[in-house]
Amino acid sequence: MPSASPGTRASNSALRALSDDLAAAVERAGRSVVAIHARPRIPASGIYWRDGVVVATSHTIRKEQDIAITLPDGTRAQAQLVERDGGTDLAVLRFDSAPSTGAVSLAARASDDALRVGSLVLAVGRPGSEGVSTSLGVISAIGDKWRTWSGGEIDRFVRLDLSIYDGFSGGALVDADGNVLGVNCSALARGTPLCIPNATVERVVNALLTRGHVARAYLGVAMQPVRLTRALGERLGLGDAARGVLVVMVESDSPADRAGLLVGDVIIAAGGKSVAEPQDIAALLGADRVGAELELSVVRGGEQRPLRVMVGERAPATDARRRGRDS
Amino acid sequence: MTNALALPASAFSAHPAVHLAFAHELEALAMRLRDVTVRIHTRAARYDAVGAGVLWPPRARRLVVTNAHVVRAGRGDLVGVETADGRVVEGAVAARDCERDLAAIVLPEAAGDWPAPVVLGDARGVRVGEIVVALGHPMGVGGALSFGVLHAKPNDDASWLRADIRLAPGNSGGPLATLDGSVIGVNCMVASGLGIAIPAHVVDEFVREGAAVS
Repeated sequence: MPSASPGTRASNSALRALSDDLAAAVERAGRSVVAIHARPRIPASGIYWRDGVVVATSHTIRKEQDIAITLPDGTRAQAQLVERDGGTDLAVLRFDSAPSTGAVSLAARASDDALRVGSLVLAVGRPGSEGVSTSLGVISAIGDKWRTWSGGEIDRFVRLDLSIYDGFSGGALVDADGNVLGVNCSALARGTPLCIPNATVERVVNALLTRGHVARAYLGVAMQPVRLTRALGERLGLGDAARGVLVVMVESDSPADRAGLLVGDVIIAAGGKSVAEPQDIAALLGADRVGAELELSVVRGGEQRPLRVMVGERAPATDARRRGRDS
Repeated sequence: MTNALALPASAFSAHPAVHLAFAHELEALAMRLRDVTVRIHTRAARYDAVGAGVLWPPRARRLVVTNAHVVRAGRGDLVGVETADGRVVEGAVAARDCERDLAAIVLPEAAGDWPAPVVLGDARGVRVGEIVVALGHPMGVGGALSFGVLHAKPNDDASWLRADIRLAPGNSGGPLATLDGSVIGVNCMVASGLGIAIPAHVVDEFVREGAAVS
């Protein structure tokens, strides 16, 4: 037989080495990836993130108490939902009692610098009690900080070219060494496979464990982009193509209301930067801005005037809203 | 062991041989699998369907294994079998098992010097994440190679293999193989995006049962 001779093996040694690396990476990462039985039919995945704490995606957790978790060694443990953040689709669970040694290992994390377009990556999931499973692909795009449809702040946009199979959400994206790059999620951008990077997961886990929710800065206004008339722009010294955002609603007793912002005002600058889209203002409202002052430049009645707003904190959403979309 | 993937980009430019080696090795693998993969034509009243088949050992029996759905009973018991080098012979369907989705075709005595059959591998020894390749004729494209990894460990001896690999109609009946070229399964369908294959030992069992009958 010509095939499985030693010569054949040597002739594809580079591929063989790659294949062995991939299998080893799955094995290593698989020791930190658990199955979470918190919805009907197919269970979803989770990552053993820190002592006693498992991270998962919120949309795959449909019950809050007495959640069964299958550990990498095949044994089962019980856990409770600590909190969830629908904005980033992350949830934090805690084991009722510490898992026995060797049953599950803490995830070894790669630094976020390791995220590079074109890197070969594996999605590692455990969609049930049958063992670990995987898919192979590459990081297809990396972008800046972005906001999800439900308002969560994610440190980097990481799009994947790989399959997130049923039950893979909440599992780990790993590099070729089996180090975790983030949490895989298919529910944040219409089924597009994305990775929530470690930095975001760590920040949200800290917030959920210490405060019970993720702080979200807000002003209490609804806005839409507008173009200033040429005459107005020129009179205010803003040029003939000045833009801003028109305030179309002010929530009563909100930070914007208390600062005296009115419907019809046009915000042309915030925090010293010119503003052309509502997103430009949203970008200035990170969680760290709660309680800080934001300097606005507003056009009202044809005159430009400064306005100071004390950035507020949005009240944590109700249970139903926190839960986010079911899918 | 050095980690081929952990090499920084600069390492690849310093050693262009690494990615060239990948290409050459995959090409060699594709050539070897093409030699053991046939194209199967069945003629029905209205259309000409194409599937793949695998030259199955032992060589003396001149057997081709494919999926039962490639050679449906309604399409007759004589099918066209075309090898990679373009030879076409008419084979007879000797056994069909719709439950396991397997069929065996016997080639005529005068088929001449047929290529050697596949070397069988055992999927039960393959690790999750290991590279696997498939060969077939997806959408009629002859001898196409697909690249992927084993998705999950089979639950038990008889269960289907699941691979994270892109397959299409025309891959049915073709081989799923590991890097050493040994065939661990016969591709039979796509489910939720996963390539599904019948493990080689199940196929071999089917072939042996057929031998007992004939």
